[in-house]
Amino acid sequence: MRFKLTAIPTTALATTALAATTLASAIGVAGMAQNRPQEVNVYSGRHYNTDKQLYAEFTRRTGIKVNLLEGKDDELIQRLKSEGSKSKADLLVLVDAARLYRAQKANLFRSISSPELNKDVPANLRDPGGRWYALTRRARPVMVNTAMVNPKSIRTYADLAKPEFKGKLCLRSRASVYSQSLVADELVRRGATATRQWVRGVVANMKEPFFTSDTTMVRAVGQGQCGASIANQYYLARLLSGDNTADRATAKKVRVVWPNPTHVNVTAGGVTRSSRNPEAARRLLEFLASPTSGEGYAAANNEYPLKGWGNNPTLKAFGTFKASTVSMEQLGQRNREAVQLMTEAGWE
Amino acid sequence: MTPSTTQDAISHGTVRSSSRTGLLVGVLVACGLALLPLLTLLKDALIGGGNGPLQLGFDGANQVRGTLLLVGGEGLLGAILGTAIGWLTAVCRFPGRRWLRMAQLVPMAFPAYLLAASLVDWGSHRGMRIHGLGWAIVLLTLANYSYVFLLSTESFSVSGRRLLEASRSLGVGPWSSFFRVALPIALPSIGAGVALSAMEVVNELGAVRLLGVPSLSAGILDRWQVDGDPQGAALLSLVALGIVAVLIATERLLRQRSRRWNLEGSRGGGHVWPLTGWRSALAQLLCALPPLGAVAIPVLWIQEGWQGLEAESIAELGQLASRSLGLALLATAVTCLAALLLAISRRWSPQPLVRQLSFLAGLGYAIPGSVLALGLIILGGPLGFSPVLLLLWGYGDRFIAVSKQGLDAALERIPPSIDETATSLGCDWLGVLRRIHLPLLRGPLLVGSLLVFVDVVKELPITLALRPFDFDTLAVRVFQYASDERVGAAMAPALLIMVFGLIASFALIPTLEERD
Repeated sequence: MRFKLTAIPTTALATTALAATTLASAIGVAGMAQNRPQEVNVYSGRHYNTDKQLYAEFTRRTGIKVNLLEGKDDELIQRLKSEGSKSKADLLVLVDAARLYRAQKANLFRSISSPELNKDVPANLRDPGGRWYALTRRARPVMVNTAMVNPKSIRTYADLAKPEFKGKLCLRSRASVYSQSLVADELVRRGATATRQWVRGVVANMKEPFFTSDTTMVRAVGQGQCGASIANQYYLARLLSGDNTADRATAKKVRVVWPNPTHVNVTAGGVTRSSRNPEAARRLLEFLASPTSGEGYAAANNEYPLKGWGNNPTLKAFGTFKASTVSMEQLGQRNREAVQLMTEAGWE
Repeated sequence: MTPSTTQDAISHGTVRSSSRTGLLVGVLVACGLALLPLLTLLKDALIGGGNGPLQLGFDGANQVRGTLLLVGGEGLLGAILGTAIGWLTAVCRFPGRRWLRMAQLVPMAFPAYLLAASLVDWGSHRGMRIHGLGWAIVLLTLANYSYVFLLSTESFSVSGRRLLEASRSLGVGPWSSFFRVALPIALPSIGAGVALSAMEVVNELGAVRLLGVPSLSAGILDRWQVDGDPQGAALLSLVALGIVAVLIATERLLRQRSRRWNLEGSRGGGHVWPLTGWRSALAQLLCALPPLGAVAIPVLWIQEGWQGLEAESIAELGQLASRSLGLALLATAVTCLAALLLAISRRWSPQPLVRQLSFLAGLGYAIPGSVLALGLIILGGPLGFSPVLLLLWGYGDRFIAVSKQGLDAALERIPPSIDETATSLGCDWLGVLRRIHLPLLRGPLLVGSLLVFVDVVKELPITLALRPFDFDTLAVRVFQYASDERVGAAMAPALLIMVFGLIASFALIPTLEERD
């Protein structure tokens, strides 16, 4: 085995140089992340480039710099728990009520009082104790292929358990928090017995194995592999307004049916208990929840603003719905029971 | 040197014990660093809350079953594919052999989660459902068989050629030569490759989740993070550790049974078995299919979704890429140094403790990255460690086995008589390392470094959990976009990961060429 030895010093040199650059930039970043009054550190479960434009706008208006760490919601909660009082995070932004509840139970938020937030965020979309405030809304309607399913045959989620949908239904897996919160919503509104029966019924109506993503499931509805499914509205909106012509054509075959009431969930933020700069964090939260920037935060992901239906033409075409009045806190409280019930009924 | 001290040296006893103390201390430090996060976790899990009896439950049993099926399926398929291609391209002669040999490095550039995400998305456009255990085994084999190929082909071409020529001159045919001569010699390397790839499978998260296969890695994470049940997570981690320990032990056993020392390194001399006609075509097909498959999946996906490509600014991409690259280079240096230390210490120290410790140090590979990361956060948080330092610690802990497996296998092939001769001539361990082991280990060391480099560029959970503010890497960005189901946005960073992987893989070509 003989190697060209001359290559080694060059490689070593390049390695050291690059490594040094990375380290230097990392130390620079770590230095910046230290709390000075004009900075706010955000842990966010959202990953949209347009969010960064909003944060930049906030900085322009207030002079407060926003440092961002995006991750998966559960991971961020766990990270914050492990970091404890030493955490540098000031604001925690999470998607879905179940996660908000988990973070709240782990005592990660602090109560804040803000007349502005109370004005901008409806009461059922914020924690009564002021620990977190919703920033956007998303709905989980039924989506049908009209060639296979008559949209008029569905008035509530309960209808999907009827025998006429046997072999037509497609569902997202139990691991998805969206499925869990939907079942929790049913639990709060209809009680354990009716919900258990309903879950057994929809599982019996399944056509395909449980889906691990909403996008592929919505496509399957458009392609006629599934007659009906339950998915968040923004997945269909994304396909409809995206640049992919084939996707647009498939998505056009999907009809949104709004059950009465429709399950609604939120993206929300709260100031962390460990925050060393709660004032700046509160101001950022107020900025994000305000009607003007809130609209932008929602638009990034084809979501609904906190009040009304917004100006997104794709969403407007879906029509309006009557939202479930179950509070986010109730959804969180019943999450574990929902998962248990789904497991027992064979919802994989 | 008196005969008695020579005897001491032969038994790797106390000669120059002072210099070996340094080695021992180094080993203890490396092992300590590797084991500390795991012990912290275990302590935290068992003492820190949780209640009720430990039980797997319905989901737990399903997850154990899923992981075992994945490991078994991928291990078997990967062993067959990797060994067959390793043999064909090392000792047989057929048109295109050289190119096809190099092409085997291509699949290493593609992380399994990327293959799965692109295939699922591509299939979904065509009304094809890519889902379940079968697909998971195929995709994981595609992403990981190169480990078996690299280690087995190295063994076939370095150690066996002269023996093969001898067996051929005695009238033994190619199949018997393979089964009776080459395979037994290569078994430790094949075992090491299979063990490595199986450990990747135990730890795989993104692909199996996407394909809807229950697995221990997902179960550990969910129990820990979603159910808030660290005890349950620790229990599942122990099962995962058990599976990996069995894998490593099997590989050790195979290696001991087939221990042979060989330094011949016969070069040149042409290939032993020329293939013609349909045999040659079959060999070409077998060697071409896996790399073609690995390339075709993302290429088809990109071609399909090109319209939806959301371009990130070049400056942003540059930053992501330089972070990925810098981290990977640093981590590779740290990891390979530690692996070398552990590997040679096993050779020098007769103490069973050192052997066991160095064995345990490799177990970090079995712990899901995110669990390892939590151990590091618990450990490093209160001490105020820099996140980048923790990241490097995590990478080292996770990938030390990747580098060490190959080194161990290569060291086994160096006859101890050489060390003994050198020691009797007055060399201490450092001298033997510098003048004998390092030159002989340069190949495996390079292979190990490149494997670690590619692994770190693709690495996700540790980076995700430990990186500081505003410090995303390519893999992190791809994962975030992909988990938001925004394929177009994930495309540009995914392409860059593949490019880095390909460059690193091609850097391995000279190693393969050397063996020709």
